[in-house]
Parts: sequence; structure tokens; C-alpha cells
Amino acid sequence: MKDRAELVIIGGGVSGLGTAYQLAKRGFTDIVVIERDYFGSGATGRCGGGIRQQFSEEYNIILARESVRMFEKMSDELGQDIGFRQGGYLILAHTEKEAEDLRRNVRLQNSLDVPSMYMEPEEALEIVPELNIEGLSAAAYCPTDGVAQPFLVIKGYVDNLRKMGVELMDHTEVLDIKVENGEIRKVITDKGDIETRMVLNAAGAWSRNIAKMVGVELPNKPYRHEIMATEHMKPWLKPMVISFHNGVYFSQSHDGEIVGGIGDPNEPSSYNIKSSLEFLERFTSVVVRYIPIMRKVKVMRQWAGLYDVTPDARPILGPVDELPGFIQAHGYSGHGFMIHPMVTKLLAEYIIDGKTSIDIEPLNLRRYTSGETIQEKNVVG
Amino acid sequence: MTDLRIHRHPILKYVRGNPLKFYFEGEERTGYENETIGAALYATGLKEFSHSFKLDRPRGIFCAIGQCASCRMRVNGVPNVRTCITPLEEGMTVERQFGAGEKPTNTEVRKTFKKELEADIAIVGGGPAGLSAAIYAAKFGARVVLVDRFPKLGGQLIKQTHKFFGSRKHDAGVRGIDIAERLIKQVEENPNIMVLSEAEAFGYYEPATIAVAGKDTIYRINAKKIIMATGAAEKALLFENNDLPGVYGAGAAQTLMNTYGVKPGDEIIMVGAGNVGVIVTYQLLQAGVKVKMIVEAMPKIGAYFVHAAKVRRMGVPILTRHSILRAYGENQVEGATIVQLDDNWQPIPGTEKDVEVDGIAISVGLRPTYGLLDQAGVKIQFVPELGGHVALRNRNLETSVKNIYVAGDIAGIEEASTAIMEGRIAGLSAVIDMGLAGDDAKELRESVRAELTELRAGPFGARIRQGLEKVEVL
Repeated sequence: MKDRAELVIIGGGVSGLGTAYQLAKRGFTDIVVIERDYFGSGATGRCGGGIRQQFSEEYNIILARESVRMFEKMSDELGQDIGFRQGGYLILAHTEKEAEDLRRNVRLQNSLDVPSMYMEPEEALEIVPELNIEGLSAAAYCPTDGVAQPFLVIKGYVDNLRKMGVELMDHTEVLDIKVENGEIRKVITDKGDIETRMVLNAAGAWSRNIAKMVGVELPNKPYRHEIMATEHMKPWLKPMVISFHNGVYFSQSHDGEIVGGIGDPNEPSSYNIKSSLEFLERFTSVVVRYIPIMRKVKVMRQWAGLYDVTPDARPILGPVDELPGFIQAHGYSGHGFMIHPMVTKLLAEYIIDGKTSIDIEPLNLRRYTSGETIQEKNVVG
Repeated sequence: MTDLRIHRHPILKYVRGNPLKFYFEGEERTGYENETIGAALYATGLKEFSHSFKLDRPRGIFCAIGQCASCRMRVNGVPNVRTCITPLEEGMTVERQFGAGEKPTNTEVRKTFKKELEADIAIVGGGPAGLSAAIYAAKFGARVVLVDRFPKLGGQLIKQTHKFFGSRKHDAGVRGIDIAERLIKQVEENPNIMVLSEAEAFGYYEPATIAVAGKDTIYRINAKKIIMATGAAEKALLFENNDLPGVYGAGAAQTLMNTYGVKPGDEIIMVGAGNVGVIVTYQLLQAGVKVKMIVEAMPKIGAYFVHAAKVRRMGVPILTRHSILRAYGENQVEGATIVQLDDNWQPIPGTEKDVEVDGIAISVGLRPTYGLLDQAGVKIQFVPELGGHVALRNRNLETSVKNIYVAGDIAGIEEASTAIMEGRIAGLSAVIDMGLAGDDAKELRESVRAELTELRAGPFGARIRQGLEKVEVL
């Protein structure tokens, strides 16, 4: 194990490993990545693998659009099939208000080169013939949205990083971070100490605990989100189907399982990731309402993970004013996997060049004290 | 058409019920109301039940008790139905799947009911351990809900036509099927016990809830105590073409012939000369199947001497230091290549021999089915002496998750007689721990414990005793 490194990354999900990969690609390899459990054991490995560009807010749309472009090349680049499939995202609206939101979002997305389209419920039947459109007011569809397999992405990063000489430490816990004279000096782990001047905090829902070690308060809160998978079937459901009306999402993975979840507005903030029967009942009844043949499909597994949620549902990226070597990469609020390619590329630019090709200032932690926040509304799960 | 149904048997009388018509890939076939789809198809000569979904390899019935995936078919427009445990119904349409199943086309809305049940004790598994736990807990007034996957209670005991060994008080000389009937009767007549048959316990939820998928009903059983008695699954063996239709567990052969009265094949080879292998060989002979030989990799026979002597007398050679090298045949077993092993368990070149058979029965041991325990977060350890992954527990069979108990093969692979004793201990412990019973139950538990210790005494119990030392640690 290395006892010093230029950068220590805390967190072995797509945020941490992705940043390590983007850095290593540019020759910056003096990195140690520390993961408390196994790689992808946090939100990455527990997420639904959805990749969507249909956001309500310009900045998120751009990050997602650029990320899709990177996902399209990722299997080739990593030499690892990541199970990327562009079946699109079909968003279902129930009310006139929701239909109006979709129309406005599609206009904004189109202006940013995202090929989403607004449609009547009947037109959605061409994309999902099994859909029950009763009670729907409209739909939106973006054909270049899709899904990928989170664990295959993790595997791609891990294999490449090892070859590139980056040190990866799983089953290792960060116990403390030592700061002297306003500078980071050392990361203390249960396997030994690592001297460093720079730490990337990519610990997902646990990022606030890491920040506390250096006296930085984060506004992030963890929320349990449950998810389930059915038996395998031959491909039939092309897009990811979602609705902001009830917070449901489901798609067919490239293995053939239907994977999906539904948000619970009454879920309290906690680190609980146990599964509940209430979730199964709520989710299956909503899915069956949209796709009646799902009534005959058997549930195979269920699990849960944590959304790392910020007050404006947008990530916190970049340095903090109090401690310049302490860089943030968390707070993805349920969208980390889908926007991580571009986000990690920008973080690598920041670390190497000190500036980024897309300004990440608006996502700095200081926005919560200066009051310059813009709310992302399109959140599901 | 081929009919593999057994019409005369020295011990069993088959109650098949009324004939039913069903359609297999468009062709009309006849089965009976007490058969599963799988048994009915097997009886008409079908071996190739499905194709694997990655490599498209033909697969046939392997476990016959709903634990593997090889018999899945499309039934009435619904994919991935486990035909080996799904009862046959009049007019059913059954088709094979090549690779993964297609989406359902069946949009029939059968009303699904949701029922919440309050119970003192929920028991998962209706084999000897689960039945005994239910009987002993109900003795002290506990309200018990017993969940079982199969149409008929009794677990594997209802297939055991042989007489039990041991002392008289442990039912020596009584056939397994008769012990099962007695236990089932006691359970069914007990007003404190509610039985959910053809019901799959699919999840444990805190604090002590078991979710169950019945035929048309989803049950939520809110219990105070849970006893897991889910039994075991047969181990597979690694050899070339070990997934060819016609390669099946010895237990599957037993299920086909003793539960459904269907011959697993005409000429077969048995792999493994432990108790299961030798006893099932004897039962195969009773069912009119020719067992060409038993091969056993160990230098000596593992089964009780009496059983081994009996099958040898009936002309079945037992070849020790022999194993199976490969199965061969196009889409189904046409033969097995056997080979002699040296002292390092390596095949001796030049000793390969082809044996023409239409079935290869594997009896290389069982492993506990611990999935539900694992999901509940119970501490599990791999203990070879007990057959695989088992729960850590205290002497009263309570696991590391409070209020969850284990009994029977899930707690370690043994025999029906020990499963019965463990079931009693778990049932009694549950009522004692919840304050429903006092000193009389404790006394009873001590006497059951003494009997269990007696059953495990002697050289045959040595390995089990070693295994238990590793897991009775809480």
C-alpha cells in the first residue's frame, strides 16, 4: 500500500472511480482510491442503470447530453461491454399541468440538441404497445436515452485503473483526515496512513461524514430508495418508462429482467437500506396499471440503496472555500450514474488544469450560502 | 404414445384422479388431476423440457421439486412456469421455451387477494421438521401458520417407501410414507394450525413478517416467531454434459416414481453409493427400472450395509473407486462413460467404459436451502460436515436474528428422524420463549434433546457432532 499520493479519492462508486479513470487517462496516476466495502457497493451498484437527458433545468440537460455521448463510446474505450442500450426514456404525464411541463421541457431540451419529443398518449403506443394509456394526458420520448449495467461499468473502470497503475483499495475504511495550517496532510485508514494534499470526497450518502472530519458541513441527506427486478424475458420493453406523477420508473435490462422502483414521499431521511413489502405492493400495482401483462411476470429480487439528496437536487462539485484541497463529488440526488461520465471528466479537468470546459461554479457548495440555487424538478424513484 | 406410468407397485397405490386433456405444443395429451404438468409430460415420454438461455443447451427435469430452473415452460401464455410443481389443469396449453421466455400474452385478470394473517408462529416448510414443529407448538396453544410450496404436505418424507432404522421409539421399522401420513393427519386435524399449501414464502420483513405468494392470494403473516424448515436441495456433479436431459437427482427420480407413479427411465446408472443412492436404487428396482450399476468415487460404500447388501443381492453391481466421466447422447442421455479412479481421485486412462442407459441419477449429497435465512440477515457459515451453508444458532435452534429458528435439513443435512426431533425442539423453544409454555414444555424439550443426542451417537453421527460444534455457538 502506498504511504503517499498526490490525490486520495474516497469512495469506489462511479463518481470516485470515474474521476480516477479520467485523471489516469490524462497521465495523472498518483492516486489511491479507497472504498469501505466492495467497488460499486453503494448507490452505483444499487441503482436502476437509467441514463436520461430529459431534465427540466439547462445545466443538468447539458451534463446528461455530454454523458450520453461518452456512454456511447464507453464499451469500446474500456474494452468492457457495459450493457449500454439506447431504448429511450418514455415519460408519462397524467394531468394537464404535467403535460404542459413536458411540452416546456421538450422545447428546452430540443434547444440544447437533445432529440426528445412531445406526444399524445396514442403515439406512445407505438413505442410501448403493451401500455395502458387510460388516464394519461401526454408523453415525452427521447430515443437516445437508455440504460447500462452499473456493475459492468465498475468492472471496466477497475480493470483499466489497475492496468494504468492507480492504487485501488477496497474493504478499507477512512477513519480520519488530518489538516494542518489550513491544508490537508494525511488520510488515516484502518490499513494505514496516506500522506496527501488533496482529497476527492466521492463517498455518496456518506460524504457528509467525510466532510465532518475536516470540519465542513454538507447539506446532503440520505434517503432510502427501493428497487426490484423480475425474472428474465426476451427483450420486449424498449424504453425506460417513468412518470413524475407517482415517481415510478422501470425498464428491461440487457439481461432481460424488468428493473424498477418508485419513490415514497413519506420516506424519512436515514441510512436504512432494508427492503419492505409495502414497496413491492406499491410498485407492482403501479406497474400493472401501466402494463397489464406485467401481472403475469414474477418478481425475483428486491433491494434498496441511498439517494444522496441536496436541497436543490443537483450535485455538489469542486473545491470548498475553507479547505482548497478538499474537492467535492457527491449529492447526485438519484442521478449520479447517468451524469457521471461528464461530471468526472470535468472534475479531472479541474484537478489537472484548474479550469473546466463547462463551468462547474454553479454547482459549488457555496451556492447554499449565497442563495444562488436552481431547483431540478424532474426527479423519480 | 409412450406411457411411463407405473401401474403395479409392491408398496404404493397411486391415486391419480380423473384424466385431463391438455395441449403440448398444439398436440393433445392426457394427464391426471393429481399430476403436475411436469410429471404428466414426463409420463408421455418428454425428456427435453427447455433450452438454457445463454448457450441454448437442452435441459430436462433435474430436481422435480421446484428448486432448479430446467423444467420451466410457457403455460397458458405465461413464461417461466416451473412445471414440476405446477398442478395440471384441464385444457392447459404448454410450450417449451428456447432461451429466455417471451413476454406474457395472457391478459386474463384472475383476481388477486391480499390477506393479512396474525400468528404466534409462522413455519416455512411442511416436511418432517416443519410438521413436527407445528404439532409441538400447537400442543401448547400457539396459533401456527404453516406454509408449504407443494400441493401435498410431508416434504421428501412422502416419497420414502423404505423402513427406518434405529430404535423402536424413533419409528424403526416404519416406512417414511407412513410417518408422513401420521404427521400430516395430526397437523390437519389440529384447529390451532392453519396450512397454506402451494404457497411460496418469498420474503422475510422486519420485525417478524413472512410474505407468501399463494395461488390467488398474497399473504402477509405477522408472526411473533418464525421457524424456517425449508429443507435441502440436491447437489449437482461436475462432468461433461451434466445438464443433458436424463441426468437428474436421485431425489427427482424418487419424486417421479413415488409421488406421481412415473418411471424416470427404463435403464439407468446411479452415481453415488451413499444412503440416498442405494435406497433410491432399491426403489427404482421396485418400480420396474433396471439399474445397471452404482458407481462410487470413494473406496468404500457410504450407505448402511443392509441396504447395500440388498441391492447387490438383486443384481446391481456397486463399483467403488469409479466415477462418471461424461454423459452422451443427442438432446437426451443415451449413455454414460464411467472410469476407474486412482488413489488421488484421478481417472485411470484406459479404464473408460461406455454404459448404455437412458438416465443418470446423481446422489452426491444434499445442501441446505438457506436463501430465506440469508435474506433475513441471519449469520450463515459454510460447514462441510453439515452439507453446506447453515445458520449459527443456540441450543434451542434460535438464530442470530431474534425470533427466527431453524429445524431439519436447513440446519444441517441429516435424516428425517433427526429433522423430526429438531422440529419439536424449535416448536417448543418458540412457545417457551414467547411465554406460552413453562416447565412442562421445558421438560419435554429436554427429553426430545436426549433422544436427538441418542440418534446422533455412534460413528455415523461423528461428523454431524463435529459440524454442530461449529454452529451451536450463540
